[in-house]
Amino acid sequence: MKSRCLYIAIILLFSILICGCSGEKNESAPAVEEAEELKLDYSSHKLPDGIEWITNNDDPIIGSPNAKKGGTLYSSISSFPLTFRTVGPDANSGTRSLFSDNMMLLVGLHPDTQRLIPVLASHWAYDKDGKTMYFKLNEKAEWSDGVPVTADDFIFSLELMRSKAINDPWHNDNFTQYFDKIIKYDDRTFSISCTDAYPDLWFHLEMQPRPKHFYKKIDKDFVQKYNWAIEPNTGPYILSEYKKGKYIIFTRKKDWWAKDLRYYQYRYNVDKIKFTVIRDTNVVFEYFKKGEIDVFGATRPDIWHEKATGEIFDKGYVEKIWFYNDVKQPTYGLYLNEDKDIFKDINVRYALAHAINFDKLNKQVLRGDYERLHNYFTGFGEWTNKDVKARDFDISKVETYMKQSGWERGPDGIWEKNGIRYSVTVTYGVSENTDRLVVLKEEAKKAGIELNLELLDPSAAYKKEMEKKHEVVFSAFEDPNLRPDPWQSFHSDNAHKPQTNNITNTDDPELDKLLDDYRTSKDTKERIVLIYQIQQKINDICCWIPLYQVPYIRSLSWRWIRLPETLGTKTSTSLFEPFEPWESKYGGFFWIDEDMKKETLDAMKSGKTFEPATIIDDTYRIKKNPG
Amino acid sequence: MIKLNPLTIKTLRRFRTIKRGYYSFIILAGLIALSIFAEMLVNSRALVVKYEDRYYFPTYGDIIPGSTFGFDYEYETNYRDLSKILNSSDDKDNFVLLPPVPYNPYENDLKDTTFPPFPPSLKDKHYLGTDKTGRDIVARLVYGFRIAIFFSIIFLFANYIIGIIIGCMMGYFGGFFDLFFQRIIEIWSNVPYLYAIIIVSSIVIPSFISLLAIMIFFEWIGMTWYMRTATYKEKSREYVLAARTLGASNSRIIFMHILPNTISLIVTFVPFSIAGAITALTALDYLGFGLPPPTPSWGQLLSEAAEYSIDAIWIGASVIAALVAVLVMVTFIGEAIREAFDPKMHMTYE
Repeated sequence: MKSRCLYIAIILLFSILICGCSGEKNESAPAVEEAEELKLDYSSHKLPDGIEWITNNDDPIIGSPNAKKGGTLYSSISSFPLTFRTVGPDANSGTRSLFSDNMMLLVGLHPDTQRLIPVLASHWAYDKDGKTMYFKLNEKAEWSDGVPVTADDFIFSLELMRSKAINDPWHNDNFTQYFDKIIKYDDRTFSISCTDAYPDLWFHLEMQPRPKHFYKKIDKDFVQKYNWAIEPNTGPYILSEYKKGKYIIFTRKKDWWAKDLRYYQYRYNVDKIKFTVIRDTNVVFEYFKKGEIDVFGATRPDIWHEKATGEIFDKGYVEKIWFYNDVKQPTYGLYLNEDKDIFKDINVRYALAHAINFDKLNKQVLRGDYERLHNYFTGFGEWTNKDVKARDFDISKVETYMKQSGWERGPDGIWEKNGIRYSVTVTYGVSENTDRLVVLKEEAKKAGIELNLELLDPSAAYKKEMEKKHEVVFSAFEDPNLRPDPWQSFHSDNAHKPQTNNITNTDDPELDKLLDDYRTSKDTKERIVLIYQIQQKINDICCWIPLYQVPYIRSLSWRWIRLPETLGTKTSTSLFEPFEPWESKYGGFFWIDEDMKKETLDAMKSGKTFEPATIIDDTYRIKKNPG
Repeated sequence: MIKLNPLTIKTLRRFRTIKRGYYSFIILAGLIALSIFAEMLVNSRALVVKYEDRYYFPTYGDIIPGSTFGFDYEYETNYRDLSKILNSSDDKDNFVLLPPVPYNPYENDLKDTTFPPFPPSLKDKHYLGTDKTGRDIVARLVYGFRIAIFFSIIFLFANYIIGIIIGCMMGYFGGFFDLFFQRIIEIWSNVPYLYAIIIVSSIVIPSFISLLAIMIFFEWIGMTWYMRTATYKEKSREYVLAARTLGASNSRIIFMHILPNTISLIVTFVPFSIAGAITALTALDYLGFGLPPPTPSWGQLLSEAAEYSIDAIWIGASVIAALVAVLVMVTFIGEAIREAFDPKMHMTYE
């Protein structure tokens, strides 16, 4: 559940992020009479000479050869999809991933080696211009209705994404801004060009085809017509049955085209996946305890430590799994608005950073389950500067900084200067965070800083933050890019104006220079040196006070749900992800052991017990930052 | 302004004879009175500190930094620590007198070894345990009660003043004014007010006053219907005609003659309105749309209770017991008032 929630948040952030970046308002166009022709070129051209095709069939296999096929996984979703479309109005919700994650991409990143692996494209090649890549589709690649995937489907996809008929400005914009053209060489060979030369070009060119034979042409009524249509897909599962508002069932394709590919052969084992609509997490947990839901996310401390106790755990029917991963961390922290008078003084910002008692919160309330976040870009592998350190709680340092700037403690113990109290409002949008903030608030009071908590509805909080009306906001962004992209959050171009991601209004000439250099540089080594300096500079400016990171996932699963020996991959954010989330290839590892299921159910009747199991896998745990 | 007539005195006497309601009234009034002085009973600040021949009374007013009492910090003294040091030493001159419950509703009393919520403990003086961030439940209940009850009382007065004035005017003037307001009220009463408040308070964060204003905005209609009917009835009685003949002004007739005669109707509604307001505030807090955190509130405790159910039964047990007790007392009072004001007790029909 947690991962799905996070996913929604990420999608939300991601979409608004790029919309925000472009700085353009999406004005609603007058009603489209008919979908205008974009006149994309579907004709074949001659393939240029000298293309060096690349493929990769040497990396370790993903998944376990022990996996058995069969069985049904029972899972839940918090609300029924508002539409089965993946683009257009109402499509951008948490359930979109059910459909979009069953659409394969051209290439993928091997989760452990971080090298490209073939997916829809069996071979790929780079053009010298740095903007273009060539792809050769896998001979076997086909849609769920048996029609082969062709270059036309990619051109059609581009056409659809750019069409006004889908009523989706974000996709319109994204596929116009970043994608230049697709040139077809034959049915299975084509090239995609970007509008600019980007490092890690494949990441920017990655796209999903759309079945041209299914849509034929772009209908001006696309949005209404395909609301509940089941689009043919290329992924391992397809929607087979649903009852609106109640449940939705996906069935495995028995003769899926990719089932024998090196990196897919032992994955996607479960025959059926049933998602039942259960609105409340507490209720989902009750279903889980009865065995009517197979797995339950337990990363939250209260679930792992308190709720996950009792008979089914003591008797070993349910296993507790704690798996460390190494993935990009959302930037959970306090963003200070440097345009507010009080935060124009750097000492005042330093003081607040030293007044945040994360350790107490973590050790005494959160059971030490969390780890301190240090760097704005954590989990980017070698792109993360491990020397950047968050500031510790230290009242004497607060006093030093405040006195340096001429503040004094007032009669209520709060710092004062010229009649202004150090009292700032912390805006946030997730009610669960109240429990964390009340502890930080009481501790900050000891350091002489008053934090007023302002819990808003998530969208209202987001609006306030985007309009830069906050003083402090407790928020998190997740960088959707492969490599850190600090420009949008810290460059002065994005400061002092609403609807950009520079919500701290950071405006620092030195940092600007570094950011510009980083942005224009195409050299990986140089970029890494620059990003280290940028990360240090962000820490020095202290416009963002890092709070916590959760470098692991925890799950509860009935013992008949089995996992490979190494439970997941380095980048797994869910061990029981049934489909293929884009970018990271970690879906569909688990399988259901029907014999064990029968054995367990019998044991529950007869009262037989098994050894209680708590599995901790720290294969991919990062060494703690020293100090 | 309104003189007690013999009938009212008789009614009050009658109220006193209904023991259940009368005692509930005494207890509830007592609790409200006590809650005004909650700082003296439930507070992290000491009542009296005698330190090096000086007396300190920290309860009200500015903070006294820890350095005053020899601690090495400048923030507010932790009087529980101070009391441990001073009261256990042999030196009988210095002492700390703590309130019976030495916690305020905001502070997190945390431990190194275990994690909140902590169960009730006499030793720690957490008589009803703590919530999930280590805040004392007694403190949260007491301060939550104070907020809820005063919220309800202000809410009640404001609502009734608006409702009575408009209702009386509708009944008294009739005609277009009556028709116009009837339609307004019909429309207004179809707005599901709890939802409306939820929508409003998810956009602007409500404070005590603004939440009150929002709730009054949607709730004032309740009283108008009754007052309109009552005024209509009273208007055609002889004493009103007599007053009018004597040249009394409209406002005089409404407030001096009609209103005192409808007072029994108003009074009967009061307890139920209070109960309604407490439940509404609790429901809003439960859903997270009430007063902003970390304001102590029963609704917030209830939502924690729902989250922890039997794992931390003391949270649910305390708040539900408190809620039931208060609502039952209010209902008893209401019942007694209704009975005391029952016209059948004073009149005989021939």
